[in-house]
Amino acid sequence: MKKLWSLITSLKLAIFLLVIIAVYSIIGTVLPQGLASEFYLENYSTFGRVITVLQFDDIYHSWIYVSLLTLFVINLAGCTFKILPGQVRRFDKDYYPSVRKDSENLYNDEVEIKSLVDKLKRKRYKVFRDGNGYMMSKNRIGYLGSSITHLGIVIILVGSFFGGLFAFSGFFNLLPGDVRAFNDHGFAVRLDDFYMEFRDNKSIEQYYSEVTVVKPSGDERQETMWVNKPMKVNGIDFYQTSYGWASRLVIKNKDGEILDMKYLRNNESHFFQSEHLTILLYGYYPDMVVTSAGEPLSMSEKEDNPHYAVVLYHFNDHVGSYITEPGQTIEYGDYLIEFEESRLYTGITFRRDFGYVFVVIGSFIMLLGLLVSFYLYPKFIVIKEQEIYTITRQNSWGFNYQIKRMIEDSIKREDK
Amino acid sequence: MENIIFLEEISFTIAFIAYTLAALSFIVLFAFKKEIIGKFATIITTVGFGIHTLAIVFRVIESGRLPFSNQFEFATSFTWGIVLCYLVLHYIYKYTGVGAFVMPLAFLVMGYASVLPKDIRPLMPALQSNWLYVHVGTAVISYGAFAVAAGLSAMYLLGTKKDGFRSSYLPDLEACDYMSYRVIAFGYVMLTLVIVTGAIWAKSAWSRYWAWDPKETWSLITWLIYSVYLHLRFHRGWKGKAAAWFCVIGFICVIFTFIGVNTLLPGIHSYR
Repeated sequence: MKKLWSLITSLKLAIFLLVIIAVYSIIGTVLPQGLASEFYLENYSTFGRVITVLQFDDIYHSWIYVSLLTLFVINLAGCTFKILPGQVRRFDKDYYPSVRKDSENLYNDEVEIKSLVDKLKRKRYKVFRDGNGYMMSKNRIGYLGSSITHLGIVIILVGSFFGGLFAFSGFFNLLPGDVRAFNDHGFAVRLDDFYMEFRDNKSIEQYYSEVTVVKPSGDERQETMWVNKPMKVNGIDFYQTSYGWASRLVIKNKDGEILDMKYLRNNESHFFQSEHLTILLYGYYPDMVVTSAGEPLSMSEKEDNPHYAVVLYHFNDHVGSYITEPGQTIEYGDYLIEFEESRLYTGITFRRDFGYVFVVIGSFIMLLGLLVSFYLYPKFIVIKEQEIYTITRQNSWGFNYQIKRMIEDSIKREDK
Repeated sequence: MENIIFLEEISFTIAFIAYTLAALSFIVLFAFKKEIIGKFATIITTVGFGIHTLAIVFRVIESGRLPFSNQFEFATSFTWGIVLCYLVLHYIYKYTGVGAFVMPLAFLVMGYASVLPKDIRPLMPALQSNWLYVHVGTAVISYGAFAVAAGLSAMYLLGTKKDGFRSSYLPDLEACDYMSYRVIAFGYVMLTLVIVTGAIWAKSAWSRYWAWDPKETWSLITWLIYSVYLHLRFHRGWKGKAAAWFCVIGFICVIFTFIGVNTLLPGIHSYR
């Protein structure tokens, strides 16, 4: 048991986990993720079995990956608890690490010890007189750097895991005037308008959804969302995510009487029962050109040259393909088919995930820990008779170099 | 406006030439060990850096934003970050020869930038955020630091001869080893910032702070590799050759995250 615990809290395991998590992550970026298992079986022959059995097809949510991360959190917490008491002990002002055998003695005859000590005092070193010599220390807080960093990482991983577990999220489309109710949360979102802003070259500058949040009490609040400017209602965030065109299909008889009417999105079809006619809106092209291959293509989303591509099927037989302008009719027997008035609909993602708060707090703690580790590392200087040594673990060469320079500078100045 | 575009292009080209000359002179310095060549290389690097900064300033004037939004802009900024990190290190520690290993990297990335389309495109909606500057700005510095660390490690791996010239122009091996470690530590803090600011930005633009997009994942992989490096170094006393190789592998990951992910693993993050 003791052996197992010491393995779980070992640095060896930590390194192993870091490497294996990295390798797993690489697999996930190379293999397409989240497709049907048939895809892998067909395209990767025998390896396809391995992919599906080991869940490489959805690697980041596979039980193996989650187990690795769980083990990593336990290992990280365990390691930290193991080293923490030692780190705290080093806070004691009487604690000084011993001078390493291969340390360089920075002493030379010209050093004015008194002025060097004063200089270091000004640099906020705590100075103790030790017989004829001095013991100096600075930044004992640095011992805690790694523990602070690890704490931050644990908070991020645990917070994001549970946040993800209880996250509430989804996606919906709305045409202007449509409402999406969030009954369990006591409000509804109505889309008042959706529009795009264009630049001179017809590229899209920004997408805007103007919405009204309606509460059962009758309270209404208007907001405009755009990409990078989400809206928050009762803890749920709403994001402008996508858009699309919905075009009105009208079927009339020769007398002009409207028999059927429906909004279709691109690639959506309508089955006209009485004639067994399927009307497929292949696409709406707001700014159409015809490519050299004869395919319609929209140069932009600005309605400069709007056209519809329509395909008719009778049962399963292809009747004809048409390119029409808005309001232009296609005759089919006694019927007139036309598309007109395309409207933009918006696509909105929503998500509530309390894990985010932990991620932000954890990240802040982790960064703080890293800064403490790397830039507030503990520094010690021991001065004895004809001996000056620097001691630090984090940056021994750099610290030694720094103090050496300081000593050289003070000598040069005195020479002048 | 036309004038500014012209000025940008000409200063970019001059900076590229300066970096090329600097890289060459550092290598010549390494071979012939003439003090004057070292001085020349340092001066031309510094001047090139000034002109490169000007090129970036011209581009900022033209586009009204920092040059962080497509592959060319990032490559030129990345080079700028490499040279900046190198010059800072140079002016603190005064080891001229380090340039022989760092400037060729700067030359390569700048060369990559020079073949990419340089047109200024307006920002797509997803990039219209102030987080762009923090996120990509920290990435530039972080990648620059990793490049310098990789240069120092390459130098460690190649430099075993010891003579009078070495000690004044090149840091001794121990110094080389430590410097690359400290530069990695700095780059690592910056990379952590890149990932954290990226997560915060992704939350406000895409609804999720982490979505396993290839770029995200590769930055995590890079981070994991440098985490392993830091732990092995600090707790297992990994120094010298092993550490230097690790540092070079880490930098290959950085380059893959920058170039490979955009060209081979398309995702929502592939801005070209």
